[in-house]
Amino acid sequence: MKSKISKIALTLSVFWFVGCGSDLHQPTNEIVQGSEVVVDLDGNSIKTSLIEAGMPGVDESTTVYGYKAYKIPYTTTDEQGNSVKVSGLMVIPTEVPEAMKQAGFSVVSDDHDTIMANADAPTVVASTISAPAGASVILTSLYAFVTLQADYIGFGDSVDHYHPFLMKKSAANATVDFINAARKFAQANDIPLNGQLFVTGYSEGGYDALATLEKIEQDGELQVTLAAPMAGPYDMNRTAMGELSKDYLPIPSYVAFVAYAYTKTYDKDMASVFNEPYASDVETLFDGLLARPEIDPQLPNATDGLMNPDFRYDFLTNPDNWLRKATLENNVNEWGPQTPVRLVHCMGDNVVPFPMAQLAEATMNAYGAADVSIVPVEVAVTGDSATPLRYNHFECGPVAYGVAAHMFAEARHATIGY
Amino acid sequence: MKKIIALSVITSGLLTAAGYKIPEQSLNSMALGAAYVAHTTGADTNYYNPAAMSFMADKQYVEGGLTLAHLPSNEYNLIAPFSGETEVENILIPNLHYVANAIGDFRWGVSLTAPGGLSKRWDTPFQKLYAEEFTLKIVELNPSASYKVTDNFSIGGGVRLIYSEGVVNSDGADAGAPLKREMEGDTIEFGYNLAMLYKPTNDINLAVTYRSNVDLKESGQANLYFGGVGKQYDADVTVPLPAALNIAVSKTWNNTFTLEAVYERTYWSKYKTLDFNYGSTIANPVLDSAFNAPIDKYWKDTNTFRIGSTVVLDKITLMMGFAIDETPVPEETLGFELPDSDAKIFSMGFRYQQTENLSWGASFLYDSKESRSMTRGVNPNPILANGGSFEEGGAFLTTIGMAYEF
Repeated sequence: MKSKISKIALTLSVFWFVGCGSDLHQPTNEIVQGSEVVVDLDGNSIKTSLIEAGMPGVDESTTVYGYKAYKIPYTTTDEQGNSVKVSGLMVIPTEVPEAMKQAGFSVVSDDHDTIMANADAPTVVASTISAPAGASVILTSLYAFVTLQADYIGFGDSVDHYHPFLMKKSAANATVDFINAARKFAQANDIPLNGQLFVTGYSEGGYDALATLEKIEQDGELQVTLAAPMAGPYDMNRTAMGELSKDYLPIPSYVAFVAYAYTKTYDKDMASVFNEPYASDVETLFDGLLARPEIDPQLPNATDGLMNPDFRYDFLTNPDNWLRKATLENNVNEWGPQTPVRLVHCMGDNVVPFPMAQLAEATMNAYGAADVSIVPVEVAVTGDSATPLRYNHFECGPVAYGVAAHMFAEARHATIGY
Repeated sequence: MKKIIALSVITSGLLTAAGYKIPEQSLNSMALGAAYVAHTTGADTNYYNPAAMSFMADKQYVEGGLTLAHLPSNEYNLIAPFSGETEVENILIPNLHYVANAIGDFRWGVSLTAPGGLSKRWDTPFQKLYAEEFTLKIVELNPSASYKVTDNFSIGGGVRLIYSEGVVNSDGADAGAPLKREMEGDTIEFGYNLAMLYKPTNDINLAVTYRSNVDLKESGQANLYFGGVGKQYDADVTVPLPAALNIAVSKTWNNTFTLEAVYERTYWSKYKTLDFNYGSTIANPVLDSAFNAPIDKYWKDTNTFRIGSTVVLDKITLMMGFAIDETPVPEETLGFELPDSDAKIFSMGFRYQQTENLSWGASFLYDSKESRSMTRGVNPNPILANGGSFEEGGAFLTTIGMAYEF
């Protein structure tokens, strides 16, 4: 009998131990209404990273604010007028002085530059690496702005939708709808905003920023203190004419991306625009899985290798060519903004040449703009109008954001007081 | 939850031998500093030398014990703010052993022990980055059998059923690094043990035992945080419970005084890297670098020399032990999770025969760890590369036990 008891006790003890197991709780991330926190870093950590990265003007004495980013889902409207569920990244500064909170945060709507891979979309990057990326570090951690970065249609939550690249209606919709969604989110989660709004963006984002400003002025519901579009191809017609008149395309993916988006939007036959196999391949090349460095090697640099020569000739010579008319419809510089606009552009830009800014300035002034001027980045950073310094399109981005952020901060100081 | 607490009480935080192996699993073995292989007398024979079960009287043996392990703080001294100390821990650890009646020349028994364990908990900024908590809990169910080959020679062997849990927490927030890891995993593994006992004369025992290596693949989840945002990953990490060979000889005089010497070789060289694996890619490069890069260990095989003496009086049995224990951890790969060092072990205890069937007793063991100075520039850890020294630590273990024969 005792022997049996011993055996039973030992057997039970085995089950006792085996029954135990690992049961790790889920990560203790902050819960918010209508969003999720995807980045939450203190200012010291960001300062350390910026110093290690050699960020100009940042040292131990620099005030660097904490960085908290939210992925916010919202709904916008595409080029065809359909509702699309999209996403955007809202970044707020943390560890700020109480007086700043009392005055409320000013908002910068920052439209991101050209991306082709969904992995590079603002909310995707932030969600993946849980770390700041891009211009929001400058705008939020160094200048204490709330930064809004829409993913755009075609990225983030709407990756299954094609991206209407450089098309003004959907670009403006995605940005304005995100500004409104972010305002509602801030209200629901006690994030103090003071109502002040700045608009900027670089490259594709510069184009989108000007499209956004036009929509905001047309709608009349929001007010922008200052807009600083940067390095955008504002005149799509001139841009397309320029590119398609070249026999050699250094970066063929840009032209292919535009042609693909416009052909899809205007419901035309890909085979009438592209040569095979590219007419068949573009759908896959631009499905959001590949980045530009992976796409360019799959495309020819010869314009007539990529594009149907007959279509190209027709585009260049026929005023009724559908793409030619479509690009005209998507120019964002043919109106007269009443908001102050600073066209920030690098004189050394090799992708969107500096004359594009001069053209936009002249056109908008001709349309009765209230206050439009160009800010050459190299001059802004050196203070020398004769400086030989030149930044190319890719070098220019971070510097241009610094220039824009400084202008916004001066405007905020003059109006809000900090 | 209750079960998890129970298991934690049983095995957490123990470190009484070099590395994370725990040789002392009964009242007698604690009193003799584990110089208890050739001359074993109770139900714990099943665990220490199953071959010796063949020579035990034909009755059933059962015994259990409870050990209170007091682990003083382990100090790391460099300069502020890089110095630090571990938390003091007090842990209860039970053991249970049983030997059945003989079945012809065969005999069997079973033991429930905690043959290994480790817990280091640092609450100081720069140590927390590496080992805010580093806990390994190991429970072994060890059924064994013996066979009497001749009147003076027997062999034995058994199966090692191992259940283990691991916890790894790291937090760099106080050190200015926005990194944090929480990991829990567990595993069930199997191994074996072999034994032989030869009695050339009535008063001399020669014994050899071998316990196999068991790789503990702790599988579970890990939460990795960068700043205030964490993600959960499937994760695993493997550490060995190393093989050990014991060669022992005992001599008894007048059925009263027994002296036993044990040489133990522990094959720690199996432990080459501490390599955490995650079920998906860690996209954040800082987290990936901090928590996904394999950490070299390259521990070395160790020698331990033990000696124990037993004096049997009328109703009281007195025991003493001493051991010299090498650390397997080279200076190049020493980490805050286990700042081990060479040790000397002192032990003593008694057993009182209350009735013909029932005995009880107590034992005490002091594991005296040597201080360990770190040579500047040798260890790749950013803190330990600056030198410094580990001091204090060690362990005080008190065991009470009771045995019954029927």
